[in-house]
Amino acid sequence: MEIAYYPGCSLHASSELYDIQCKLVFGKLGLELKEIEDWNCCGATAASKTNEFLSIALPARNLGIADATGLSEIVIPCSSCYSRTLVSQKKLASDAALKASINAELGQKVQGTVKVSSILEVLRPKVISGEIAGKAVKKLTGLKPACYYGCLLTRFPIDIEVPDSVENPQGMEIVCKALGAEPIDWNYKTDCCGASAAYNDAEQSQLLMSRIFKDATARGANCIVTTCPLCQMNVDAYQDEVGGKYGIDKRLPVYFITELIGISMGIDAVVMQVDRHFVDAIGLLKELKLI
Amino acid sequence: MTPPVLKYDVLVSKPLVEEIMSRSGQNLQSCYQCRRCAAGCPVGEETGVTPDRLIRMILVGDREAALNNLLVWKCVACYTCGTRCPNNIQTARINETLKQMSKEAHCKPLTPRIADFHNAFMTTTRHLGRFNEIESMAIYETKTLFKELAKGNLKAMFEEMMSQGKLGAAMTKKKRMHFDFDRIKNRSEVKALYKKSKGR
Repeated sequence: MEIAYYPGCSLHASSELYDIQCKLVFGKLGLELKEIEDWNCCGATAASKTNEFLSIALPARNLGIADATGLSEIVIPCSSCYSRTLVSQKKLASDAALKASINAELGQKVQGTVKVSSILEVLRPKVISGEIAGKAVKKLTGLKPACYYGCLLTRFPIDIEVPDSVENPQGMEIVCKALGAEPIDWNYKTDCCGASAAYNDAEQSQLLMSRIFKDATARGANCIVTTCPLCQMNVDAYQDEVGGKYGIDKRLPVYFITELIGISMGIDAVVMQVDRHFVDAIGLLKELKLI
Repeated sequence: MTPPVLKYDVLVSKPLVEEIMSRSGQNLQSCYQCRRCAAGCPVGEETGVTPDRLIRMILVGDREAALNNLLVWKCVACYTCGTRCPNNIQTARINETLKQMSKEAHCKPLTPRIADFHNAFMTTTRHLGRFNEIESMAIYETKTLFKELAKGNLKAMFEEMMSQGKLGAAMTKKKRMHFDFDRIKNRSEVKALYKKSKGR
C-alpha cells in the first residue's frame, strides 16, 4: 500500500537517519512512503511567531501537492511539521476566504481531502493488528525507554481532536510494549525541550532539558525514545553539557521509535545509522544482546 | 484613603483588548484568573510574567507592558497553558500576536537572539523554499556576533563561537551536518506567498 510522505527539512538534513529508518521500517510493514514532489518548509514555529499568514500558507502548499497525489493519507514524522500542517488544514476548512486567497497563488490547490497523520497514528493500528509483533524477530528485553512525546503531538494552538491522551499519551508505550520493551512511567513525557531555544535561549532550554533527564534517570529508564527530530536532536546533542551543569551522571541514548522497531525486525543498526547519535546508542543494544 | 494601585481607563483598554482578541482569536475576557496556565508554564519562573498576568495586563490596557515583557519573547510555544485553560484561551497565540504587534510598533526585542533566529529561519525558507541549517545559522550567528561586537562584548562573542563551534564539530563528527543546499524547484510559488503575506 502507498502512503504519501512529507519528510520535512530536518529529515533531509541533520536527521537524515530518521528518513532512512522510516522508509525501511514502513517498507517492512508493507507501506511504501511516496515522498510528495517539491515540498517546501512548513514554517515551523518561526512562521507562527512572525507571520500568521505564512504559518498557514506554507503548509497549505504542501497540502495542495498531497491532495493532488490522490492518496488518502500523508504521514509526517516530525512533530512540528505534523502540527503546522494539521493546523493549516483545519484552519482552511473553516476559513473559505483565506483558503481562496492562498489557493490563488498555488498550482495545486488545497482541497482538504488528505488525512494528515503523525507517525504514531500510522503505527498504532499496525500494533493492534499484530503486524508489528509479526515482523519482529527479537524481543527488546531489558530495554526500559522513557517515551518522550514533547509538545506538539498532543497540544495544538487551535481545537483539534487528539488521537491520544493529552496529558498522558500512550501511543509510543503501546509500540514499545509490542516489541517486548518495558517503557517506564514518568512525569516529563509531554514537557518541552525548548526546541530552537537550544540555540537562541540556551540557559532556558537547558533548564527544561535538565528536568527531563533528572526524571527519566531517577525512574530507572535506560534510554529515551522519541518520534520528533527536534526533540531527538536536543536531548541527544545537549545531554552531556546539561548533565554536567546540573549534576546528572547517567547518560541515556535517545532513540527514534523507528530504531527500536527496526532493531526488533532485525534491520542492521549501522544501515539505520544508529551510530550517528551523540550519546552512544550502540553500546546499550550490544549490552542487552539485541544486536 | 489609600491611592488606587492601578489606573484603569476603559477608553484606553478597549481598543487594545479588541485588537488582540481579534488578531489572536482568543477570548481574553473569559479569563477568571484560575492560574492553571501559570502552574504549567515551563518558562514562567524565568520570565516573571505568566499567561494569567499577561492577560491581565492587556485587560487593563497596559500596552507598553503587554508589548514589552519576557513572556512574549521567551514563550516556547509548547501550548500547555491553552491546553489546560478551562476557558480555552491559548496564550501562546496571544504571544504570537503580541510579538507581531511589537515588531510593527518597532519595539526593541527584549531577547534579540530569539528575534534574529526566527527572522533568519524565515529568510532562508524564502530563499530556498526549505529551511537550511547552515545558511540560517550563518545569518543568525553573523547578526548575533556583530551585535556583541558593537557592544564591545568580546567575551560573549568568544563564548558564542565556542558553544556553536562545539555543536557544529560534534554534528560533523557524527555525520549529522549536511553541506548541500536542498532547494525546491518552484521557489516562485513560495515567494508569491511571502509577497502576499506582506500586503496583509
